[in-house]
Amino acid sequence: MWSMAMLIWVADWTTDWWRHVRELIEPADYLTRRYFDQWMQTQTAALIDSGVLTLEEVTSADLTSAPKRNGSAIRRSDVIEMVAALAKDYSRQTEAPPTFARGDSVRARSMGATGHTRLPAYARGRVGVVHAHRGAHVFPGASARGKEMAEHLYTVAFPADALWPEAAGRRDRIFVDLWESYLEQP
Amino acid sequence: MTSFSSDRVAEIHRQLHIHLPSEPALRVKALESVLVEKGLLDGRMIDAWVEAFAEDIGPKRGAQVVARAWVDPEYKARLIANGPAAIGEFGFLGLHTSHLNVAENTDEVHISSSARLCSCYPFSILGIAPNWYKTAAYRARAVRDPRGVLAEFGVDIDDRVEVRVWDSTAELRYLVLPQRPAGTEGWSEARLAGLVTRNSMIGTDRDLTPRTGEAV
Repeated sequence: MWSMAMLIWVADWTTDWWRHVRELIEPADYLTRRYFDQWMQTQTAALIDSGVLTLEEVTSADLTSAPKRNGSAIRRSDVIEMVAALAKDYSRQTEAPPTFARGDSVRARSMGATGHTRLPAYARGRVGVVHAHRGAHVFPGASARGKEMAEHLYTVAFPADALWPEAAGRRDRIFVDLWESYLEQP
Repeated sequence: MTSFSSDRVAEIHRQLHIHLPSEPALRVKALESVLVEKGLLDGRMIDAWVEAFAEDIGPKRGAQVVARAWVDPEYKARLIANGPAAIGEFGFLGLHTSHLNVAENTDEVHISSSARLCSCYPFSILGIAPNWYKTAAYRARAVRDPRGVLAEFGVDIDDRVEVRVWDSTAELRYLVLPQRPAGTEGWSEARLAGLVTRNSMIGTDRDLTPRTGEAV
């Protein structure tokens, strides 16, 4: 994540909180702006929320002067090392045994979540087959609220024709990574 | 301290929308200025990242991995069994590749990857995501109409071939292992790597057959 390398990372931030802040950008802006624009907006909003910056400071900024570059250049080799060091493991141990196994039929829950979810709307209520159990991973809904929690994670294969009417007759499949609380018996 | 409140952040975004310039370049500049001014962003770091991703960290890394898998069946087996460890043999493990999954194309299967809910991409092995990958249009259509999207990239998939779309909804990231084209027997790894396109490792390219007259 750019932010971890390029900005002060506020201590209680999580990847999922940051992603949630980006998702809260006004829809018209979110859908039309370029990525770096959104990234800047996300960083700024998150810093304002965390009290590191104020809205007033942002809106009264001098727009005409070029941002300063102080000191000697940072080397490419430093960045290469940083990118390697940014490998982050989201797997966790959990006492709870997995509910599902490869080959099981599962249904993605229909209820939408409040707050941050990684269950895409197109899969809600649809039945797929567990392709793989990935162990337990950090659960994003809780992480977006600053709480560390883990759940079993599965890759679920949905036949395209279970998702889209126009895919009838096709053999194609969509593979989606879903946490255990997103799934139920069909 | 961080509020973790959706309502509070939505309000902050509204205020930023109202008060910041509507012209994108000015808006980004305003934000960069204030963050640098407050010591929250180091402009030199931006420059170094832009340069590193232009010169060093990009699809050439993935291409090397693919070429190795083509010539060395044991490496290929390691790559598919444990992607992070295998790319780690090259020193390519890093940002967004701790949970890398490598899936291979075959005569019967074409793999493509996308990120419906974000622009999640295996940065340390493929570099910066192409702009089209990050558009709302690609992200929506890649899962809904993968064959239509592929056709727009000039890739026609026979009806007998199964298309598998991998949607990166968690922290797993995906790398497609394209098929080694015919007519490349005896080629060096370096020469083979030169055939591997970025799009073939994302899944929007399939046939890497060298054209006649291809430079060595």
